[in-house]
Amino acid sequence: MPYNRARTMSRRKRLFILFLFVSPLLIFLFSLTLGPSDISISDLGKILLSPLAKSGEGTVTPVQRDIIFAIRLPRLLLGLAVGAALSVSGASLQAVFKNPLVNEYILGISSGAAFGASLSIVVLGQAFPPQIGAFGFGLAAVGLVLLVSRGPRFSPVSVLLTGVIISAFFSALLSFVEFFASPYSLQALFYWLMGNLGGAGWGDMAFPLAVMAAGTALLLLMSWRLNVLSLSDEDGRALGLNVKRDQRTVVLTATLVTAAAVSVAGIIGWLGLIIPHLVRMIVGVDNRKVLPLSAVLGASLLVLADDAARSLAAFEIPVGIFTSLIGLPLFILLLTKSSKIWR
Amino acid sequence: MSVFVKNLRYVRPGFDLHVPSFAAPAAQITAVVGPNGAGKTTFLKCLSGLWRFSEGTVEIAGANLRTLTDAERARRLAFVPQEHTAAFNFSVLEFVLMGRTAYLPLFAAPAAADRSIAAEALDYVGFSRSPDRPVFDLSSGERRLVLIARALAQQADVLVLDEPTTFLDPRHETGVMALARRLAEEQHKAVIVTLHNLDLAVRHAGRIVFLKEGRVVADGPPSDILSEDLLHRVYDIPMQIIEHAGRRFIVK
Repeated sequence: MPYNRARTMSRRKRLFILFLFVSPLLIFLFSLTLGPSDISISDLGKILLSPLAKSGEGTVTPVQRDIIFAIRLPRLLLGLAVGAALSVSGASLQAVFKNPLVNEYILGISSGAAFGASLSIVVLGQAFPPQIGAFGFGLAAVGLVLLVSRGPRFSPVSVLLTGVIISAFFSALLSFVEFFASPYSLQALFYWLMGNLGGAGWGDMAFPLAVMAAGTALLLLMSWRLNVLSLSDEDGRALGLNVKRDQRTVVLTATLVTAAAVSVAGIIGWLGLIIPHLVRMIVGVDNRKVLPLSAVLGASLLVLADDAARSLAAFEIPVGIFTSLIGLPLFILLLTKSSKIWR
Repeated sequence: MSVFVKNLRYVRPGFDLHVPSFAAPAAQITAVVGPNGAGKTTFLKCLSGLWRFSEGTVEIAGANLRTLTDAERARRLAFVPQEHTAAFNFSVLEFVLMGRTAYLPLFAAPAAADRSIAAEALDYVGFSRSPDRPVFDLSSGERRLVLIARALAQQADVLVLDEPTTFLDPRHETGVMALARRLAEEQHKAVIVTLHNLDLAVRHAGRIVFLKEGRVVADGPPSDILSEDLLHRVYDIPMQIIEHAGRRFIVK
């Protein structure tokens, strides 16, 4: 049976893919040693292998232990989760909207979240944390898009166009708030908007991490169905899919996952667009491979970008600047190479 | 009777399709013909459950279409569209495997048994190139075969083909119709097909339905209903029917 033979994939490519799957762990361990306080690999091993050891035991100091468990570990876990969540979310929305140029922010989440955060930082102050403002208004923007574009003329194109319009609307609201902001709150808002993984502690992360983990897992479970959803709606129905139900499930899940990521890490651009493209160049367009590999590659690259953001200068540079600086040239390169993957 | 339609009506601004009765038996090709805009594709999409019709009933293998879920319908009836319109460049095997969707639960992916069914479908339609080949790289004729293979992977009793010979050269045109005939005769499927090529319809179909402006003008075996007068009434141009070597040909 010639059709049952294994897909032609070279041994080198298989090894490369295997490496990509273990790369988050390697990068995670490497990144734990990185920072202004010098912690060697052997000290890191001692800290990780005996987390409950009493302070001052051996060569590890309580401060080093605190740096690992209270500062670096949450930051890196957040980086892995946000990188995976945004990449999987982008790949899923590209399938549902049958458009490889769609990204995780296409339905207005980023603009809504930015406005929500600006309300919190500029107008309401500490009583209303930016995480809640960003999460709430990110969801509200997508809700508005889906509400406006529903009805008999509902189509992926109308949803995307409505997303552009609602994004513009929230951007205008953001400009309005910025216009009246003080220089200090403007600086804080700017820092938030650029995206950064250093702001959250364990307490702030618990809910967004749970949402990202559950949502990303659900999208991974639906990866085969995403293949069928990427065909025309009529084709999907002819093949036996409840297209509207499955589209709604994916859009809502991707929205929740992205809103959770944005609420805790700000707006980190380009991952959801570029990572799935990179992955398709390696393994083709089958979402059973695209989604898991996007998760690991997105996780690895965001943590690496964050390593650069916190190591290159004496002060911390927002990681969103790095993802954009790397992402845009990469995307231009991909555009010239990926005509065989989509049309 | 595999497909039975009664009093089907589909209305949109400027167009009104009404089919009082239609039947497509198993083990036979039923051709729906007529000029552009007659409502052939509309009729096929209505009876396939892809477009909602305002009135009437459609029975597929004994079940009322309106009571079937999308998956239940797709296990009984497979629809082959005119063209493949995917945004992403799947391999032939990945594409044909999508024919198994109606059999898979929400979170499941095709298993080895599904891959065997997809492989058999590709064998049956005579697709001889590598199943790893990207669909975008195929010729129109090969793509049509792959679309039919995907429909075969649905293992449905009814196969609906919307203009399967459009844009094909005479060799592929004949090949696709011979395949449709084999599916009817060997696998006892009810094959419903829209065609512009009347010679193909006369040669392969056991029954022809002539549509014009949303109305059925004639319905029956070609030997009973085909006449120059009927062709003139349907297409508004004079046509001749000539006999040669025991077969009837239509000359425009």
